[in-house]
Amino acid sequence: MKQVTLSKENILGLIAIGLFVLMSISVPGFLSSNNLTNMMFQLPEFGLFALAMMVVIVTGGIDLSITYTAALAGVAIAILSSNGYPMIIAILGGIAVGLLCGFMNGFIIAKIGVSPILVTLGTMVLFEGLILSITKGNSISGFSPEYTLIGNGYYLGLIPLSIIIFLFVAILTSVLLNKTVWGRSVYMVGSNPVASLFSGVNNSKVLMKVYLYSALLAAIASIIMTSRYNTVKVDLGSSYLLQSVAAAVLGGTEIQGGYGKVIGTLYAVMIFQMISSGLNLMGVPRPIVTVIMGVILIAVLIINFIKVKADENKQKKLAETA
Amino acid sequence: MKKIAGLFVALLLVFGLLAGCVSQQGAGGNSNSSKDGKDEAGGGDGKIKIAVVPKLIGIPYFNASEKGAIQAGKDLGVEVIYTGPTEADAAQQVKVIEDLISQDVDVIAVAPNDAAALSPVLQKAKDKGIIVMDWDTPADQSLVELSVHQIDDEAYGRHIAKSLVEQMGTEEGEIAILTGGLAAANLNSWIDAAKKELEENYPGIKLVTDKIATDEKQQVAYQKTLDLIKSYPNLKGIMAFSTPAPLGAAQAIQEKGLQDKIAVVGTALPKDSAPFLEDGSLDVAILWEPDKLGYLTVALAKDLVDGKKPENGQNIDGVGEVEVWEDGKTVIMGPPTDFTKDNAKDYDF
Repeated sequence: MKQVTLSKENILGLIAIGLFVLMSISVPGFLSSNNLTNMMFQLPEFGLFALAMMVVIVTGGIDLSITYTAALAGVAIAILSSNGYPMIIAILGGIAVGLLCGFMNGFIIAKIGVSPILVTLGTMVLFEGLILSITKGNSISGFSPEYTLIGNGYYLGLIPLSIIIFLFVAILTSVLLNKTVWGRSVYMVGSNPVASLFSGVNNSKVLMKVYLYSALLAAIASIIMTSRYNTVKVDLGSSYLLQSVAAAVLGGTEIQGGYGKVIGTLYAVMIFQMISSGLNLMGVPRPIVTVIMGVILIAVLIINFIKVKADENKQKKLAETA
Repeated sequence: MKKIAGLFVALLLVFGLLAGCVSQQGAGGNSNSSKDGKDEAGGGDGKIKIAVVPKLIGIPYFNASEKGAIQAGKDLGVEVIYTGPTEADAAQQVKVIEDLISQDVDVIAVAPNDAAALSPVLQKAKDKGIIVMDWDTPADQSLVELSVHQIDDEAYGRHIAKSLVEQMGTEEGEIAILTGGLAAANLNSWIDAAKKELEENYPGIKLVTDKIATDEKQQVAYQKTLDLIKSYPNLKGIMAFSTPAPLGAAQAIQEKGLQDKIAVVGTALPKDSAPFLEDGSLDVAILWEPDKLGYLTVALAKDLVDGKKPENGQNIDGVGEVEVWEDGKTVIMGPPTDFTKDNAKDYDF
């Protein structure tokens, strides 16, 4: 019989379910259709950033330029669509710009070998500067009504389209990480780059694709955000930068790299979302909401740490007895 | 090769999904709006709920307006929810408003970080039967019932320019302008008005450079002012817009001991600027009283729920007479207040 193990992800899943039940009982209006659709609208953009961040963190890196990559892609879409290009061209253009940003990160990190935190810090400032010089700090709007449906529309009149896109990307990411050669190499590079290099993995190629993929997700997040907010500005989604790191880490991703699962990140994003919406519904002041999120993050990290230690001890004992 | 193929297929699927769904949206959108109509019937319990959303929470200016808004709630017997994003980020603000819609509030009064970004969510609020208004900074005018302005932008900008010339003691010389951010609509309209005043009435005043952005940070304003002093030794005056900018400028003036040489006039809160006003490094801080603005917003919101529109010259308890423009939408709280070293200590914001 297969034993149900309490992995990090399963614990998180239980916490997420528990939280949902708790919120449903104690917060009036939490189960209302309005609030549920609200949460489904709010989750995708954050979730996409968290996934993008997770993939990078699994390689032991970090992508600080992620929100500005998204903003730059958004600017490209806005410029293309306000100049009368069809929506599909504008979206492709935005994704191309996003990928270009990712390529830049990937090139400097993978081919030249500068540490990711420095590179992406640099590109973050660079992209910000680029956007500022293009937009002069103003916001650009002028998207077509069809475009705004991506972020605001319902699929079959019931489920927000954006959450379907998000779930699709989440499943895709999971499949890519677990079933493809590239995905397995990502974990190998993350846990031990030297070993992976000597096992015949082309580290720099793997890393390059990681940054391209993260930029692609950022660009998709950007499409959802720009269509939801009908505007793009230099600080589009800037508050998601550290939140996405927090969500990835809360989701069990090892900050030194080598481990991280899509499902964990998904649970973490859901937990953040439920806490934020639930506490807001209760009328808890925003700063307190932020404090509570911080406390939960730290608590879960400590629990994870203790659990890892305990497992290590158990294995040691097993080894001794054997 | 397989990997690349996989990635390619993945990309293709993403596009496929995007393209496939858009066509289905027409039907989806319609059925949703009918759902909205149903929701509207529900909700609504005894006490009037007024939500006031600032650009961000936790800065002195919006703390002061919170005080006023809460006070108004107590005085008028309405429930006031004062909540906003913790960063001046449009995306966060949209979420705050979405959550407020779920709470079945009667009025949402918002000071937008980015007016265009809020349009879809304000439309959503309106569709649910919530009265939408803006305060402090205008939102999309086609969506709001009322637009509460602290000040007449044009008059305010001109007043600041005039005050600067007064403080310089001469109608000739070089000046510079500091601003919070290049995109801030209200700051830009004040600056334009100030420039107009200078052009029309004080041709001897020369602007040495374009307006300088200080990122709403005192530290940046301080640094930029030091640069200005170095680059333009004949500088006689600085106009600083956004609340941290005058403080940073005054800090630089104070440090260099240039109180008598360079006049600084700006939009700052009296409590913050008191130490700089004391030794003349900041000559005048010109602003309105943000607590009154919060109070006025709530008072007018309650009137709207009761079906009353504001009238020109109407006297609001605790605020004074307000000016209402001909569109019946734009409300001006009143003339600005000059904070000088004599009166700055009387205010606690």
